[in-house]
Amino acid sequence: MYKLVPITSALVLALAAPTAVLADPGNGKGGDKQERGQRGGNAERGNDNGNGNGRGNGNGNDRRADRPDVQIVEGVRGDRNDDRRTDRRDDRREVRREVERQVFQTRDGRPVVYFRHDDDRGLIVGCPPGLAKKNNGCLPPGQARQIARAAGVDRYDWMWRTRDDANRYEYRDGYLYRMNQQGSLLGYLPVLGGALSPGSAWPTRYRYQPAPDYYSSYFGLNQNQDYRYADGALYGVNPQTQMISQVAALLTGQNLGVGQRLPSGYDVYNVPYGYRDQYADNATSMYRYNDGYLYQADPKTQLITTVIQLLT
Amino acid sequence: MKTMMRWALAPLCVVTLVACGDGAGGGAGNGAGKAGGPTAVTPSSQTLAQTLKGDRTFGTLERVLDNAALGEVLAGKGPYTVFAPSDAAFTASAGDLGDEAMKAQGAAMLRAHIVPGSLTRADIRAAIDQSSSGTAEMRTMANSLLTFSKDGDTLIVTGDNGARGRLTGEETLASNGVVQPVDALLVKAAG
Repeated sequence: MYKLVPITSALVLALAAPTAVLADPGNGKGGDKQERGQRGGNAERGNDNGNGNGRGNGNGNDRRADRPDVQIVEGVRGDRNDDRRTDRRDDRREVRREVERQVFQTRDGRPVVYFRHDDDRGLIVGCPPGLAKKNNGCLPPGQARQIARAAGVDRYDWMWRTRDDANRYEYRDGYLYRMNQQGSLLGYLPVLGGALSPGSAWPTRYRYQPAPDYYSSYFGLNQNQDYRYADGALYGVNPQTQMISQVAALLTGQNLGVGQRLPSGYDVYNVPYGYRDQYADNATSMYRYNDGYLYQADPKTQLITTVIQLLT
Repeated sequence: MKTMMRWALAPLCVVTLVACGDGAGGGAGNGAGKAGGPTAVTPSSQTLAQTLKGDRTFGTLERVLDNAALGEVLAGKGPYTVFAPSDAAFTASAGDLGDEAMKAQGAAMLRAHIVPGSLTRADIRAAIDQSSSGTAEMRTMANSLLTFSKDGDTLIVTGDNGARGRLTGEETLASNGVVQPVDALLVKAAG
């Protein structure tokens, strides 16, 4: 019975790889947007960035072309038994860096792109419109809270506050203001349904990340629009007028990569129907979907071993 | 041993292209925990947006969705799982989230009820059963966590700030995700 398990895994992987795991579709748009929008894992530029791969792990970029789109940590794991290493903890970190650089690209060398997860939720630093040029530049501590209470704008604070978040949120005229408990303004951002609504112009000072080509393919985005990611949503924007035309997708924006542990919040199997046959959890692998990608992880360690693009 | 047998069957499912998931009425579970008999996954041809619009139970939710301009999202590729509050779940303390002036609040509320991927109740039960804590967590599009647990046969879902609801009625497998009816809002009004 026990012999069946590895056979199972091998079969699933072997059958799955050539079908659902596809290289970049090559839709001819070029990689410029991807280059700007990706997380810091571009192997083309990252070879000599000081992280180094001279520990003898033997996974140099010259072997990339032979690798499938899905690249598995197993190829690197073998090096962990190298007797020459004296500090296993350092080596493990080294392995992770190496894996990240190598895995985040497709067969043709184009990167697998993720949006960065902004812990600060894309807050704009500085004084918000309407609150600028007051006394100390922005509102002084305490004053903002008084104003907010008077205006009732903090009534729905609870809509935006998450677990362990001690800050306070106040919504006013399309923007969400983050304050500390003393009422000092920490930053602000335009929000979905507020300043980031169809029919509104994109806020000029608000930074965004262009949608990568993969998302254009995965979500079937209209080629005549610009697509921008900000604060957990993908927005269609008219490139001429800068007007927001649609909210195309919601994304967690979580920055998941090979070698990392699955973060909290991925306990439940959530693979899209069409891929459940190929990517069923088993003794050696678990699969979770997030933002257009499937993540294969080790059920015991929860470490992500493979990132899979889903294109049909 | 039973579980090992199920893993052993997994490649057979792949080879024969027989769906190993659940039926439309639920019962999927993940690969390791599913029931043995292969049942074709036959989601509805309707999108999440169409499913919600066609169910009178979700009239208020539909209004909030339209107001927040998120209808296209639920008509798009997804997949998402929407924990859909019934009309009765929208209490007075939440305010009128379908009002024009409440678009942002409505959008924030909706994001806290949507998680990535397709979650059937069998999947949720399997995750709870496999957990030593008896709970399972999923991250929402609001970057918050929903925690699932069981109370007898009932699945309980608890939001970040303690809001608690029950999965009620029947789940619907839409073409681009799952609608899971819930009897309460999963964000709790302060005070």
